[in-house]
Parts: sequence; structure tokens; C-alpha cells
Amino acid sequence: METTSKDKRFTAELEKNIAQIKRELGDSVDLVKRNIFFVGNRKVPSVLFYIDGLASVEHVEKVIDAMMYEGNEFIKRNELMISDLQTLIEQHVLMNTSFSMIEEVEKALIAILSGDSILFVDGCEKAFHIQTKGWDTRSVDEPQTEQVVRGSRDGFTENIRTNTALVRRRIRDPELRLETMSVGLRTRTDINIAYINGVVKKGLVDEVKKRLNAIKIDGILESGYIEEMIADSPFSPFTTVMSTERPDKVASALLEGRVAIFVDNTPFVLVVPTYFWQFLQASDDYYMGFMAGSFFRIIRYIAFVISLTLTSIYVMLVSFHQEMIPTPLALTIASGREIVPFPVLLEALLMEITFELMREAGLRMPKPVGQAVSIVGSLVIGQAAVQAGIVSPFMVIVVAVTGISSFAIPNYSASYSIRLIRFPLLIASGSLGLLGFSVMFALLAIHALSIRSFGESYLAPATPFQPNDQKDTLIRFPWWAMKKRPQLADGDTIKLGAHQKPKPPNKVKNPLEMSKDNQEESGEKNSEQKDKSKDESRDTSDITGLRRWKKKSGSNKGEKRKE
Amino acid sequence: MKRANLLISIFFISLLLTACAGKREINDLALVMAVGIDQGSKDGTIKITAQVSRPGDARGQTGAPTGQSGETSWNVEAEGETIFEAIRNLTGISSRRVFWAHNFIIVINEEVAKEGIGHIIDFFTRNPELRMRTLVALTPDKASEVTATITSLEVVPGEALSKLFRYTDISTLAPHTEIKDLLAAYLSESTEPILARLSLEERKIDGLKPEEGAKVKQIELSGAGVFNNDKLVGVLQANELQGIILFRDKIESGVVVVACPKDPKSEISVELNKQTFDVEPMYKNDEVSFDAKLKATITVVEAGCPFSINDKKAIEQIEKSVEVKLKDDINKSIEKIQKEYKADVLELGKVFQNKYPYEWKSMKKDWTNIFSNAEINVSVHANVESGSLLFQPTISGKEERKEE
Repeated sequence: METTSKDKRFTAELEKNIAQIKRELGDSVDLVKRNIFFVGNRKVPSVLFYIDGLASVEHVEKVIDAMMYEGNEFIKRNELMISDLQTLIEQHVLMNTSFSMIEEVEKALIAILSGDSILFVDGCEKAFHIQTKGWDTRSVDEPQTEQVVRGSRDGFTENIRTNTALVRRRIRDPELRLETMSVGLRTRTDINIAYINGVVKKGLVDEVKKRLNAIKIDGILESGYIEEMIADSPFSPFTTVMSTERPDKVASALLEGRVAIFVDNTPFVLVVPTYFWQFLQASDDYYMGFMAGSFFRIIRYIAFVISLTLTSIYVMLVSFHQEMIPTPLALTIASGREIVPFPVLLEALLMEITFELMREAGLRMPKPVGQAVSIVGSLVIGQAAVQAGIVSPFMVIVVAVTGISSFAIPNYSASYSIRLIRFPLLIASGSLGLLGFSVMFALLAIHALSIRSFGESYLAPATPFQPNDQKDTLIRFPWWAMKKRPQLADGDTIKLGAHQKPKPPNKVKNPLEMSKDNQEESGEKNSEQKDKSKDESRDTSDITGLRRWKKKSGSNKGEKRKE
Repeated sequence: MKRANLLISIFFISLLLTACAGKREINDLALVMAVGIDQGSKDGTIKITAQVSRPGDARGQTGAPTGQSGETSWNVEAEGETIFEAIRNLTGISSRRVFWAHNFIIVINEEVAKEGIGHIIDFFTRNPELRMRTLVALTPDKASEVTATITSLEVVPGEALSKLFRYTDISTLAPHTEIKDLLAAYLSESTEPILARLSLEERKIDGLKPEEGAKVKQIELSGAGVFNNDKLVGVLQANELQGIILFRDKIESGVVVVACPKDPKSEISVELNKQTFDVEPMYKNDEVSFDAKLKATITVVEAGCPFSINDKKAIEQIEKSVEVKLKDDINKSIEKIQKEYKADVLELGKVFQNKYPYEWKSMKKDWTNIFSNAEINVSVHANVESGSLLFQPTISGKEERKEE
């Protein structure tokens, strides 16, 4: 915007200010200008600017009401002096709304464009910036891309404030910090950075801010823009920034010492730094029992390996290393392949591409034609293709299993990066056999090992191996066994109090003695409750929970010794 | 990063240059399932019979049927001066590339084996495509016939042949011999090779015309051939083999039939299970001898006479007769290979060398003689552990009535 400059300030003359605003905004049709006469013992002309559709009509009306009718007796009685006008309005009129005073034209313009109203009062050098934001938003809904069986069903919306509130609702810690900035020369998109002070590693927040500040782009329409602009290795097929629709995922990431980047107008929130294994971990893992969670997580790891390598291994074996196939299987494969006119590699590419086509078509097509596509699709990848002699039945199975496995990966961006990697792997193994496969796989592994996500090793905690973090990688340990935060967190690393493993109560004694014991126990309980209430009263003075735990665990130990 | 890019681009360019070198589709291969080696029609030539499976018929084909004949395998013969030449001549017949890696079994005709199998061992171990775990067997019949004989149980005859060997540890009718064992025995200073034998016998009744008593030949395990160096010197029949197999292989169970303790006319069958076999070499006064101890726990599996596991006396008697029988069997077979064939197929030389490495050095030249004269003391200790599920004798109620 060349016409605006930050130095420009408002003047005391109303007409000039109006002209200024109108000039800057090009007198757009959606710019609403409302003339209000402030009623005191004399009428003072004032003007309210806002953008139709962005500002909430209710809010605006409230402001107008206040300005026109609710001028109280005090104002009416007293002589209206120009010099007092500003203070008068501040202190006696605009009581129902939050507002601030601004001087610069630039700020006023941004305020108007983001849905707030600007009120000019004749004779005031400053403008009133009144919060009237209130455009239509989608309600909080179930996330589309990351669904869970057990877990909260709320997902982020397009409204950044709703999104931060969803996270704030989960973490009521005063140490949860939100910082705002705007990126995009023309879009001026609001971006909020969230982190928990005292848990996040020092320097990480600065690094995130530095990278965000370095973005010079005219527009940010989705967090994908940010993701691409701040990623560590731009040419990597792996996604080094995780995006999620789930507030619980963001909250858990914050507790692990990560930084979340909220971008306005998108339900996808970015989380940095990201480890590769995070893409294979669903939030369900943490809500189901630890055994079920670990089991399904292992299944997902297997699914990852299958979706990455199965087609390549099949192609490699069938076209180069037939001796590695068990004999009965070799015969079966050979019998299926006898009528197929293409080499295996071509057959695999054909099927894989067909599958990708179907997936893409399924995503893009309008919902009413979905059935048609699925019927035709199942014919293409199915019995008909086999009967026509284009593909062998084995290839159908291989591609189908690969496809299904790729759906088991909970994060969509990870699943497409795996799909991307699959093709070079397939071509390499189809043209050089085991040699090609292993070289390509080694290259991929080297690449994955070498990339970083905000200074953190991408494959951590596998490499570099962090023993403590293994509790939450391949298998998930029960919550009461995960004592420490991941290595990533700094400062406040203990997240669990002492003696958290649940225990059954002591064995019940002789029933005849029960009644006695009950009495005693109830007495004990009472005393315990008293202790608890004491503790709680103490807790209110402690703000961080950890200090509380430390004290408690200390006292517990003392009690044990007494016993 | 630049270097990585360069590496990756070099990799992809090299992919283009290879033009898929070495690629051969599985359906362009003739998967050989069994090989038979016979003497050729001319002197000094060799005849190779390859059994190539026809996947479409062997495994059933989905999709459009193409030229199915119903035969699961395609047996072809080719002759040549050497095995390799014969195999090369096969390619003139086969429309697909002959592929050996899935070969189950190599069947060698005994006439060929008598003249020496050194070149066969060499060829089948030198070729990278062949597996070292391929089975090797001898046959007194034509190898080409043996490989081509169709059993009704398995789809591919070669597979059926290999599966015959799967339970040799129970049947003890033939040793389990793989080409790696053959090679090891051939290369060994002391041990002589031993190979399983297969023969064709009329065993199966023709399902189509049983009333005529028509029979179909089937392949069966029948003992082993004993070699001296690479030449076949003798044959051990299946009933002579149990003692040898105890020395060589780990057997899972064997069956011994002995007379009943009380009633010598009836028979009682016991099953050997959980046996330990220890061979201890001895060297005293320049004499080589071996102590072979067999400890076996046995189970009574079939009693033709009333028998109770509680009857201590009867058990002792059974144990004793089993011991005698086993000892006899082992001694007989040992004598045959020691005196008649003079071939150390029992790996006794190896055992001796392990214990007396210094003495071995002076003896190895004369090992064949020393072996054939060495004393082999066999002691058997049998222990009846259970009577399978029955503790009490199965006696007909009527018999019991009579006794009372």
C-alpha cells in the first residue's frame, strides 16, 4: 500500500479525517459511514466507519445507541468543551464496549479492515477504535481429517480466536502464552504463537518468531503457506511441520514443549518442531488403554512400512529375485501373471496410478456422483481388471493392501508424503532389483536422518536415541509410568507426581472385625479429608501444579516412613 | 544439498542406463521342480530330465483361460556330454528360460552314481542359481520316470518327492540328504556320502478300474545308497537303515516291534521318543574304538496282549527286548557298512578327529582301513515311560470273565 504511510496521523478536523479514510479505502461499497450527532448540551458531529459484513451489526448499534441517546444527564447539564470531549466519551458514554484510542491512520485502516469500527468525533485528535468484530463463522465441528473413536469431537474452525480459546480451555495454565503477529503484506493475516512458558525450550520461540517475521509475502491464505515458508528442508518429501485440526493434539504438543502456530481463516494449526513418528501417533492412543493404544500404534507402524515398501518389494521379487519367493507362492504368482502382457513394473505403476487417480477423484468429485466413481473404481481395481488380463490378481492384492495401509496413517500430510516416496522406490526396485531398492531406501533413510525440524532431529527419539522418550514412541507406556516430559521440553521436565500407579485397596480382614475397622477407617478418612482441604488451601497459593506435587510427594514419603 | 542433488541425479541417470539389466519376469521362467539324471543313449553322455511346472495348471489361473492341458508339469529330456551341455540343450526346447532356484530334488540313477557323482556335486554347487538345500536322492529305476511320476496328493510331482522327505525323522525309511550334506561328506577327509533312495513300486490302485486290480506305480522311500568317495558302493535297505539314521540324523520317533512279555506269539509295539545318542571315540594301545550309547525313552503304543504300565516286571522285560533288538539292528547295519562297504557314513572320523586331532594326522591316510576294523560298542538303554493314554490293559470283558 503505497498511499498509506505510518507517519500519517489524524487531525482534529472531522472532515479531513473522513476524507482521509475514504481516500485510503477507495470509497468501497462495503465501507459504511454512519453520521452520528453526539447529544450533549450541544450536538457534536461524529462519524462511525466500519465494513459491512465484518462488523457485527449488534455491536455497532450498541455504539450508536450509546452515542445518541444514552448521553446522561451529567453530559447534558455541563457545557461541552472541545478539550473534555474525548475524556467525557471515554468515561461516560462508551461503557458497554471495549475500545482504545488510536492516532495513526494506518492502525485505523487495519482495524476497519479486520471488522472493528472507527469513530471520529469532531474536535478530537484521536480516533476511537471500537471492538465490533463479528463476522459469520462456522461453529465448532468434528474434525474432518483426524477422526477418533474415543476423544473430544471438537475441531478447530476458521476463526483464530475460537481456536486459541479451544486450546486455552484445555490448558488453564497462566504460563500458556499467546503472542500475536500479522503476516502477509496484503492479507495481514493474524498469526498467533502459543507455547507454555517454562516448558518450551529457550530459543525455540525466538526461532519461530524469527522465521515468521522473515516471511515477506503478499498473502497468507492457509497455514500451508506458512508451513512451506518456515520448513527446514524445502526440498524434502517429508513434512517437517505438523498440521492438525485437533485442539487436544495441539494441547498435548504444547505440554511436550512444542510451539503451536495458529493462522487465521484456517482450521489447521501448525505444530513445531515435529518428529516423524508423530505422524503415526493418533490421539486415540492416549485415550484408550495403554495396551490397546500401543497395539494400534504398532499396527500403524506396520501399515507405514507396508504402504511404503510392499509394492516395491513385490516388483523387485517378481522381476529380479524369483529365488527368494517360496516355491508354492512363486507358482501362484507365475500362474496369475501368465496372461498379463506388461512387465511387473509397468503393471505396478499402472495400478498405483489408477489408485491415486481414484483417490484424487473421490476427493474432488461432487458428493452426488460418488457412487458412480466407487462402482467404476472397484471394477478397475478388481476382478474385472484381472479377467481382462491387464493385471495379475496378486498385483491387485498388493496394491489394495498398500492403499489400505496408507489410509491407516492418521495424518493426511504424512500419508501423502509416503505416497510420494513410494514411486521413486518402486521405479528403483523395478529397474535394479534389490540393489535399486536398497540404494533408494538408504538414500531416503540418509535424507530423513539429515533433516531437522526447528533444530530438532527429524527422526528423534530414534536417532539420536533418547531412552526416556522411548516410552512414547513405538509403544505407549501407561500415563503413570511416563514421568518426564520428552527431551524436547526444557525447565519443568517432571510431569508426574510420585506413586501414581493405581493400587487396589488392602485386603479386607475378618468380617467380624470389619465393623470395628470401618469405624476406624471412617475416622481416618475424615482426618485425610481434613488434610486434603489443608492441602488445597495451600494449593491456591501455589500457581504451578508442580510445586504442589513435590510437596505432596515429600509428605507422602514422610508418612511411609512413619508407618 | 548440492552434493545430495548430484548423487540423486546420478542415481536416476544410472537407472536409465541399466535398461533394467538382469530383469526377467517370473512368468518368463520355466520353474524346474525336479531334475533327473540318467545315462545318455550314447556312451559317456548324460541325460537330464527337467520337470518344469506349468503354473497355470498347477495353481489354477484366474482370468481368461489359455491353453490349459490339465497337466501340471512339463517333463523334458535333453542329452549332452556333460550336465551343463545337456542343460544348455534344454533351452532349445524350452520357450521359457530354465530357472533352477526352485528345484526341490535331484534324482540320480544308480548306474550313473556307480560311475561317480563328482561332476554332479560340482555342477550343482557351483551354479549360483541352485540352492544348497535341494534334496538329492538315488534311484534304481530310471530317474526320468521317477521325477515324472504323478502322485495324486500333490499337484506338482517334484513337490511330492520333496515332501516324502519331510517326515523321514518319523519313518526312518531313508536319510534326509541335501546337497550341502552331500558336498560336506564329499569334501570331508573321513566321512563318506550317503544318499536317500527312491524307488518305484506298484502301490496305488487305479481309481478308475480297481476291479481289474490295475495298479499304478508310486515313488517310495527305500533305504540309502552308500558311497565310497564319489562312487556308489552299496545299498542299505530301509529295514537296515534305522541304526544308521540314529547315528546321523536326529530322529523324532521310531517304531520297534518286540514280543510280548508273557505271550511270545503276540507282539507289542513301542515308539521311540526323546532319545539321546552319544558317540565317544577311544584311542588306546593304537587301537581305535567307539562307544555309542543310546538312551531312549519309549512309549508303548500298541499292545497285542494285555499290558499294564503298572506291571514293573513286564516293563523291564519290554525294555530289555527293545534294547536287544535295537542293539542288534544297529550292529547289523554297522557291520554292513564297516566290513562290506568300508565307508564311514557315520561321521565317526569327524568325531574322532575332534577328540584326537594330533593322532588323527597320522591316521587320516589309512582311515578307511582303521574304520573298518574299529570296534564299535553299542549300548542301548531303553526306558518305558508311559503306555500312551492307557494305564490298565485293554482286555475284552469276555476274556476277563473266563479268567475269573
